[in-house]
Amino acid sequence: MSASMSILTAELRLLLRSGRNLLALILLLLLSSAAVWAGIAEIQNQRATIERVAAEQARDLAAVEKANAGPEGEAGYNAYYAFMLTQDPPPPLSFAAIGQRDLQPYVLRVRVLGLQAQLYDSETYNPELALPGVFDWAFVLIYLMPLVIIALGHDLVTGERETGRLRLLLSLPGGGLWRRRVGLRYAAVLIALGLPLVVGGLVMAAPATGITIMLLTAALYAAFWFGLNMLIGGRLRTSSTAAAVMIGCWIVLTLILPTLANAAIARGVPVAKGIDLTLAQREIVHSGWDIPKEQTFERFLAGHPEWRGKEEFEGRFHWKWYYAMHQVGDEAVAEHVAAYRASLAKREDMTRSLGFVLPGVGTMNVLHRLADTDIAGQLAYQDSIAAFHQRLRQFYYPYLFNDRPFTRADFSQIPRYAPRDHAGTLEAGALLALAIIALLALAVGMVQLNRVSGRSRNA
Amino acid sequence: MNTAMLIAREEWRVLARNRAGLIASALLVLLILVSSFTSLERRSAIEADRERYQASVDTDFDAQPNRHPHRMVHYGQFVFRPIAPLAFFDAGVDSFTGNTIFLEGHRQNSANFAEARQSSLLLRFGQLTPAFVLQTLAPLLLIFLAFASVAREKERATLRLMLAQGVSGRSVIAGKLLGHGAIALAVGLPAFAVLVAFAANGAADGASALLMILGYGAWLLLWAALGVVVSALAARPRDALAILVGLWMVTVILLPRALPEAASAQSQLATKIETEIALHRDLLKIGDSHDPDDPYFNDFRDRVLARYGVATVEELPVQYAGLVSIEGERLTTQIYADAADRQIGSENEQNAFVHAFSALSPMIAIRQLSMALAGSDPAAHYDFLNQAESFRYDFVQQLNRMQAELLPSIEGDDPRISAANWQKVPRFSYEPANPLGRPADIIWPFAVLLGWIAALAGLAAFAARRIGRSAR
Repeated sequence: MSASMSILTAELRLLLRSGRNLLALILLLLLSSAAVWAGIAEIQNQRATIERVAAEQARDLAAVEKANAGPEGEAGYNAYYAFMLTQDPPPPLSFAAIGQRDLQPYVLRVRVLGLQAQLYDSETYNPELALPGVFDWAFVLIYLMPLVIIALGHDLVTGERETGRLRLLLSLPGGGLWRRRVGLRYAAVLIALGLPLVVGGLVMAAPATGITIMLLTAALYAAFWFGLNMLIGGRLRTSSTAAAVMIGCWIVLTLILPTLANAAIARGVPVAKGIDLTLAQREIVHSGWDIPKEQTFERFLAGHPEWRGKEEFEGRFHWKWYYAMHQVGDEAVAEHVAAYRASLAKREDMTRSLGFVLPGVGTMNVLHRLADTDIAGQLAYQDSIAAFHQRLRQFYYPYLFNDRPFTRADFSQIPRYAPRDHAGTLEAGALLALAIIALLALAVGMVQLNRVSGRSRNA
Repeated sequence: MNTAMLIAREEWRVLARNRAGLIASALLVLLILVSSFTSLERRSAIEADRERYQASVDTDFDAQPNRHPHRMVHYGQFVFRPIAPLAFFDAGVDSFTGNTIFLEGHRQNSANFAEARQSSLLLRFGQLTPAFVLQTLAPLLLIFLAFASVAREKERATLRLMLAQGVSGRSVIAGKLLGHGAIALAVGLPAFAVLVAFAANGAADGASALLMILGYGAWLLLWAALGVVVSALAARPRDALAILVGLWMVTVILLPRALPEAASAQSQLATKIETEIALHRDLLKIGDSHDPDDPYFNDFRDRVLARYGVATVEELPVQYAGLVSIEGERLTTQIYADAADRQIGSENEQNAFVHAFSALSPMIAIRQLSMALAGSDPAAHYDFLNQAESFRYDFVQQLNRMQAELLPSIEGDDPRISAANWQKVPRFSYEPANPLGRPADIIWPFAVLLGWIAALAGLAAFAARRIGRSAR
């Protein structure tokens, strides 16, 4: 036991004595820490923004209450002016994988008018800052960790051969040389990368299972790169060609193939449908003013028979007709909405399939689904807004159709939005695919190294 | 100089024997061509889409029935931003800005349906355009071709031999720089050819294409020179490679992502809700046209009555509500314009923070230059927003004037004006931004790139002297 311990310590000393290895590991630790720090800062920023907006919105709502809710208050006016806030606070794991939260709105206010015209408003963000992509732990893992692994591992065999120590090393008694060396490097990389994540998780009180799965994903992704390293490093004669070929693999796997795939997906699944649905909704709502009011009510009452018989009113305008028209507008574009969402889902599906083959993409999918910061998370937020909007309609309709006055007491009864439960899920299939690729790479790499050992011993 | 030429030619001979180098170069060239064609095709698809949508919404506008003009103010118009011709070369922020805006009265809507919000996270890996290949991948290729250029001669002691034969350190470095500089330009050649062809058939403006070629030429030369200089200063080829890959990683991959993080931590943008609430408050400050005791609108009414020489609103030859709409639109538009300027100002401030680091990471300079010339930078987007906004103001005011002037002659409690009037309302036509109209956005990145090249030339001279000394 102590003998194997001392071999390990000796190997560790050997690993860290090389300036390049030590530098690469320290760099990884620093980058991972910086990324976790930046992620936490971003999350705190988002939380502060939500708080700020909520306070501002509360003040705005109070002003509406003062202006519209008297003893003779009219629900229709109130519903028109009272915007209600919805918010999507950052999920606990999002500090590690910010995903699209820098682009997607996480605060949105809605009123009882047509939902589809309100749902797609873009939040302000600076496009030039968003362009290069976010700097978070997932980025360090997917892009930068492979480079550190390449720096540590490309010359495992060639380095020994070039210094003339290979024969000697392999003739020493006791096996497991490569397993020991790779294992040590693997552990060092995971510690440098994972330690900041664990600390960040503790600071943010993130669920331990989520952090564990993230670490597991990182371990699998790292295993893939170590495996590839062993395979290529064991086949080539010189360190510099091994490094060049490994960098080539990194470019192809993390830059070229995902970019090509994205171009193919964008071409294969165009999503102009968002515009189609907006245009269709506008036509329906505006033609509502020109067609006889009975027609609008007929379509509305088909879905809401409980108000039948209460639709009559005198004069040219009544709020109940106005809101019925907006609801009919939403219902009429249901098909367009479905088509739009289907096209988004299709893009996600294609990306998921790609993740089964490309470890970098697979890792990205697992992390962001777990953190709930991908398109699916955004759609879930939209669903929760739609459900809330539905509650608002149901709240206001009795006032409108029963001609009930809207008083101050009623004002406090307006439903408030409660943030959705965060639904980060484990992409078991993607994780399994990643595990298979990683273990395969590791096994092939090990076989290659054993072959090197065998050849050298026999020679 | 003749010796330098000989050395350059020898370098090409060595590189031509390097199979991996040849394959990598061929792949890069292939990638440039593939990205050019897919990107061109994507551009024309987007352009056709937007043209089709623009035409169809314009027809829809004309086809609206008889209405009260104010209803048309809220029916509004959709405008689509045409894609710039050179945007196929560099998509810039196009995928991150919305490209369609709904324009209506007394509201300022945002540009919606940005591609990035509708794409999976794959988009964040990058977009396959010639700019991506030239900015991100070409430097790596040039590094791999050049890292050994001088260090190899040092390691094999051929350098000492050359110096002993009377070749000066200067000629060695000059020769290597010449050799790799020519390779760098050759790597860029297919992309340049695409640009020239595109400009030659009139699809893009020649000056922009030429400046684009010069900019990327400088960018590629910079990496070739960096490769040679580091190789000349490093003791062994593998050290040179490690340093160069490290530099590439920091300047091309890391800084462009980390700096925006710092910029947004430094100054935050207000959310849309906050802006809207603040605007609403500012609007209330002007006054309420429905309030009979409102001082601002009472004063306005008195001025109107005086102008028409009548005593009461009912005696006016025009509809008073229409005049109030015109006045209200004028006031709110000013407030919206100020808010939009503030928003653009804070975005520009954040971007300026990032740009300030371009001396450290020339990637930021080439990206800025390339986007500006391609017409896909934020400035071009703001230009579209501004044009759309001034168009919005004009068409809303024209409808308001119709309300003021045409409605009084129409009887009934539901007055509507003829649908023929909608055809008189102008349609949006976008005047493409001229990238050369903002010279500062082009001059500064060029200055940074040339500054890097000058600094590298200085370092090369230093390396040449050191090599020369080592011979003595």
